[in-house]
Amino acid sequence: MTVIEVEKLTKAFKGKPIVKGLDFQLEKGRCVALLGPNGAGKTTTLRMLSGLLKPTSGIITFSGSQKGEDIRKYIGYLPQYPVFHPWMTGKEFLVYVGQLAHLTKQEAAEKADQLLKKVAIYGSRNQRIGKYSGGMKQRLGIAQAMIHSPQLLMLDEPVSSLDPIGRREVLTLMEELKTQTTVLFSTHILGDAEEICDDLLLMHQGEILESGSIDALRQRHQSAKFEIALRGDSATYLETLHALSSVQDVFQEKGEVHVVVEDIELARKEILTKVLEEDWPLEKLALSKTTLEDLFMKVVKK
Amino acid sequence: MQWITIFKKELVEDWRNFKWVWVPLVFIIICIMDPLSTYYLPQILDAVGGVPEGTVIEGPELGPTEAIMFSLTEISMLGVLVIVAISMAVIAGERKSGVAELVLVKPVSYFTYISAKWAAKLLLVFTAYLIGMLTSWYYVSLLFGDLSASQFIGLFLFYFIWLIFVVTLTFLYNTVVKIPGLVLTLSIITIMAMSAINQIFSFRMPWFPNSISEHITTMLAEGAIPNELWGAAGITLGLSVILLVASNFILKTKEMAD
Repeated sequence: MTVIEVEKLTKAFKGKPIVKGLDFQLEKGRCVALLGPNGAGKTTTLRMLSGLLKPTSGIITFSGSQKGEDIRKYIGYLPQYPVFHPWMTGKEFLVYVGQLAHLTKQEAAEKADQLLKKVAIYGSRNQRIGKYSGGMKQRLGIAQAMIHSPQLLMLDEPVSSLDPIGRREVLTLMEELKTQTTVLFSTHILGDAEEICDDLLLMHQGEILESGSIDALRQRHQSAKFEIALRGDSATYLETLHALSSVQDVFQEKGEVHVVVEDIELARKEILTKVLEEDWPLEKLALSKTTLEDLFMKVVKK
Repeated sequence: MQWITIFKKELVEDWRNFKWVWVPLVFIIICIMDPLSTYYLPQILDAVGGVPEGTVIEGPELGPTEAIMFSLTEISMLGVLVIVAISMAVIAGERKSGVAELVLVKPVSYFTYISAKWAAKLLLVFTAYLIGMLTSWYYVSLLFGDLSASQFIGLFLFYFIWLIFVVTLTFLYNTVVKIPGLVLTLSIITIMAMSAINQIFSFRMPWFPNSISEHITTMLAEGAIPNELWGAAGITLGLSVILLVASNFILKTKEMAD
């Protein structure tokens, strides 16, 4: 079942397109990462889905809602840099936004306590938010997004601004949240996406270039590759390697030459023949598989 | 219910940042400053060294109605400035800081958001103005003679309509721009421009909002509410309603993030 469907979603600021015709849908109960480098249009996309920005064109359909209904009540949203009223305590803020989301004061208070425990800031619930650390604010931000048990939880770069410990804690928390609701979160770190997500939307320069489940993507883009290390400047060999019939792509990384190939047997023969014929100062020749990281880098560098 | 939630939150916020303390105090000072200094002018002059022998200061013999109008004159300047200053960030500040991004992704209608804040701010202004004017009434009765309760209530309520307009105007600019300082500037410029228009064209526009205080003077002198006062009060209230509705529409066209 789809939770939200997006058709031809575009957004332009002062005539400059930031998001260019997105089409995707989110399945219920999945955890989806919106992955892309900085400036890809991730935040703009999330803000449109949450109703904070109006799309220049395109349609967003929330499957659980009636026509003309306010879809904000089904959505929980955490901005990249959440700002609170510093004079309120953590609990007061949760009760406040809970009531704004149509909970009664008592329901909001109960839910607030529950969430404060879950995000592990229950001990500081009666402290003013102005005194919270960055990690605590991020966790309070997640709690406020969950206060009305939304059907879709959207988190904008939830771990990017945190230190390693805070990052780990929030990731663990998200691991738990994804069992309760559909989660869409943006990140520029592939590792985070691979770690907790089922699906991936790979975004670059306002477009979605790849989408699907992480496993499917991995398989689809998994090809064999040789890692070759040569003494001296490897750059001089790039062209020769590229010219080989079995070679799809050649790129350099950390001083090594990565050669993406179609047919492993043929490629091995061709490469080794070259090495012998031209007497290359070979130091390493290894067979490995392309990773999502390779895909990400390839897409981003294009 | 959401309305009450936001209304209460605003009251608590203004309580915690001491607005409920200092705004009434400032209003007391604004209201009693002129009546008191006028009454004690001879003593003040003496205390600061006196005036040369033979100087005669002649002024009109002041009655209680003139004296209490001094308070309104001060409110029309300093009081209005204070009102605009405490309202300039009420929406603009939340939009600028980003809190609005958290609040307005919750299913809250913009009109609820605006009108609850508006009512809360108006309650603060009403209270401060009431306390200030009651203090002024007390001193005026003591020093200048009796001012009847009906006269006081009349001038108090009619002038409050002008203050409602000032608050609403500030709210309108809160939705137009999101820099509090700019809200203050635009509001003050508008009020000054309206005052200038009023002075130039007052004979043609007896119902212009800024003319309320002139009509109040007439009311106090004649002991009856002139038609122009009803008219001006009605126009001012009507304008306030229009501005409030307009604020809602303007905020809807704004994007809560950039």
